[in-house]
Amino acid sequence: MSVGDDAGIVAHGIGLTRAGRRVLDDAAVTVAPGRVTALVAPSGSGKSTLLRCLNRLLEPDEGTILLDGVDVRTVDPRTLRRRVALVAQAPVMLPGAVHDNLVHGLADPDPAVVARALADADLDPSFATRPAGELSGGERARVALARALTRDPRILLLDEPTAALDATTADHVADALRRIADRGIGVLVATHDDRLVARVADRTVGLGG
Amino acid sequence: MVGALIALIFRHPPLAFAFVAVMAVVAGATSGGRIRRIPGARRAALVAIALPALGVTGVLLLVGAFEVTPRAAIPTAGILIGGAMAAATLTGRRLVEALDERADEVEARLALGDDVPTALAPLVRVAVTTGVVPVIDQTRSVGLVTLPGTFVGLLLGGASPATAARIQLTVLLALLLVELLAGLLIALAIRRAVTAPGERVVVPPADGRSATDPGRG
Repeated sequence: MSVGDDAGIVAHGIGLTRAGRRVLDDAAVTVAPGRVTALVAPSGSGKSTLLRCLNRLLEPDEGTILLDGVDVRTVDPRTLRRRVALVAQAPVMLPGAVHDNLVHGLADPDPAVVARALADADLDPSFATRPAGELSGGERARVALARALTRDPRILLLDEPTAALDATTADHVADALRRIADRGIGVLVATHDDRLVARVADRTVGLGG
Repeated sequence: MVGALIALIFRHPPLAFAFVAVMAVVAGATSGGRIRRIPGARRAALVAIALPALGVTGVLLLVGAFEVTPRAAIPTAGILIGGAMAAATLTGRRLVEALDERADEVEARLALGDDVPTALAPLVRVAVTTGVVPVIDQTRSVGLVTLPGTFVGLLLGGASPATAARIQLTVLLALLLVELLAGLLIALAIRRAVTAPGERVVVPPADGRSATDPGRG
């Protein structure tokens, strides 16, 4: 893993118009490996949209996004989305047990990776057998975090990860993000949560980067 | 008026081809109109209906299941086109509704690294099942709950119950196949229409949203 000046994600000049509305205009953000970057901007300003542009769930009309110096448009989208993993604001659990969610789409899941992902998300190993449809909001948030980590990402994108959590659970998530960043993963958190920003962010940016 | 038209076709058999073609085009327009948000919906529905319905009609005529006459071909094609239209409409509407209702799930699957066919597979499966449930139920309950139209018509026309039952069974099995194929074809056409470059799903908006638009932040 090379960690040079161009390591992580560098996005600039991102513009997107949808249904005649300018959703993003000249947005920029940088996510460095091993650092937690908080993306703080008003509601409706395009934070979620920008996160989805970074792993090409949405295709910007303008701008450039580089991952470790490589234009993301040249990377296979499935590979890109595993390297730049997204945890949505209201994570959807897929049918089956938590373990089924954790290994979803993985050709040859490594039990050690699954165990580490559970630990990183502050979940007991016994969670793996729980039916995913029966989890509380806080548990779903942490399972979604663990599920993203089983992709072995370089960058982790989180959309309002503490929005529906109580303060204690939110602190657990913040601590988990710190541990994840300390392992060299770049973390970008779109959030309104000042407490989360204060607890975990190395850097706070707006949509202008 | 339709009776007079069919009487004319019986006197001039080549007109049967045009009549069946019109039936298929109207069925395609009707079914495609139900999912008009999808680009090329009417054309896709026409293919999904005409291909299996006319293909199976042709096979039934070729193998001698029915006489190669307008009197046999038009009702057979009509039943199969009607069944295919119902299946295509049910499947198409269910899939388009699911693309809206389950947009977050589709996004989650794509975000985890699924390609579009894999991400949409659960939605396609449910939609196709929905589309063929009526004909499956009809086939399972035939003779117990209902006496189907073909059977009744043949009896009223003077056929023996055994002959009527044999023909009805042939029609039901053909319907089952045609409706399954119509459902699969329309589902695949919709999947193709909403697949955008870069393994993305883009559903033309019905109300200003699209499947990959989180509508937040």
